[in-house]
Amino acid sequence: MITQIDVRTILSRIGPDRRDLVTRPTGRAVRTSIETELAQLAGWSVVVLDFTDVRLMDLSCADEIVAKLLHAWVGPAAPARVCFLVRGLNDHQIEDVEEVLRGQRLALVAESQGALRLIGEVADQWRVAFERLATKGRSAAEDLAADLAWPLDDVRAALTELALRQLILEDAGDYLPPQVA
Amino acid sequence: MSTVIDVPARFDEWAFDQFAEGFAAAQGSARVLVDAHACEWISPFGLVGLLAAGQALLEQHGRPAVLTAPADRDVAHFWARMGFFTHAKELFELHGAVPRVRGGDSRVLLEVTPVRAVEDVHAVVQHIQDRSAEILTTELGLDPKATMGFGMALSEACQNIVEHAGTGGWVSVHAYTWKRTLGKRVVVIAVADAGVGFRHTLEPTQAKRFGERWSDSAALEAAVLQNVSRFRDPGRGQGLAGIRRYLGRWQGKISIRSGTARIAILPPWDEGDDLPLREQLPPFPGAQVQLVIPAGAQETR
Repeated sequence: MITQIDVRTILSRIGPDRRDLVTRPTGRAVRTSIETELAQLAGWSVVVLDFTDVRLMDLSCADEIVAKLLHAWVGPAAPARVCFLVRGLNDHQIEDVEEVLRGQRLALVAESQGALRLIGEVADQWRVAFERLATKGRSAAEDLAADLAWPLDDVRAALTELALRQLILEDAGDYLPPQVA
Repeated sequence: MSTVIDVPARFDEWAFDQFAEGFAAAQGSARVLVDAHACEWISPFGLVGLLAAGQALLEQHGRPAVLTAPADRDVAHFWARMGFFTHAKELFELHGAVPRVRGGDSRVLLEVTPVRAVEDVHAVVQHIQDRSAEILTTELGLDPKATMGFGMALSEACQNIVEHAGTGGWVSVHAYTWKRTLGKRVVVIAVADAGVGFRHTLEPTQAKRFGERWSDSAALEAAVLQNVSRFRDPGRGQGLAGIRRYLGRWQGKISIRSGTARIAILPPWDEGDDLPLREQLPPFPGAQVQLVIPAGAQETR
């Protein structure tokens, strides 16, 4: 299941009509509103956080919204199984979000120039495995191992870790990138 | 006993220590006169720094210090157009001719604006993005990508007041020619408060770590170079790091003065003229921040 969240719409819902995501209280209010929507989810979901109509985002909001959503919704104690994907950030914003995530050893998937990439703290090998999976689409570990010319155990370890961190999906023994139209 | 604090004829960040020396010498005086009658030129740093001084003097003495307005009509008009007197009249007893001008000069990037709460930060960022982004790109040749980061840097610099100063402050944004080393137009964000300062803010969590080295300069190093925050939340301390990253991309400069120290991250164009760290400066309350972005800067990676 794919859930699209237009962050600008959320922003305009919480107060005066604004296009800029700045200050921690605003970030907290936006996150709380997003979490209300996430609370409706059941089973696995790809959640697209769409920042396309947001004019700018400061680091405080990057932390309050993106990083804190990952803290709360990634891991065994999370209230639902969610794979986050951010869309509509420019290169500089992606770099800023990446720094915020790195500092907290977090990572998530970003759609940038039509391709999926991991941003944040991820081992290089896992990043390579992710990128190949994102290009290839749904794959078994064996297929990806052949494709990457890696030992199967290494590919399994990478995919297992990526799935544990909710950066890819696992379904009936296959692995999927959080692909959305 | 009355004490006079002279406002330097050319009042910018460089001359601020001279002003701070006068400010420090005025401690304990029954009456303080801040004399700006001979001031010929002032930067946004000077304007917001002067308001911070006014606030500190008001808090110390329980009554406003006297401020003489610049004698030069054009200079006084400029101060008025920048919105300085609107805020100064709440802090100082104003003497001399204070011109009345209409606000809203479309060429001013951001008049002197108080920052007391998060709503003020929103208003400041929105103003810059709505009304000044075009000036930044067309007149100053800033890459449109740089103007977006400009709003981010402005937001984070202002939030430091709201979150840490324990009092309000002021922000102003100007464009002018940086004659000293660059010889070209720059955009300058100046933010100042007379609050508790970096050392006091970080003392509960950092003083022990630094031991005898703990000082205003150590606090600035911790905050600016090590991204340390008073909050234990691992997501904190990102604001100044983000500003540094932004300025690094566009050959910009940041300098922060707090207490008796000043730290600066220097771009190549200013390395020969400024020092990364200055200590044992005349004490001045709060924190004063200046961000400088050269016009037409090319992105560096």
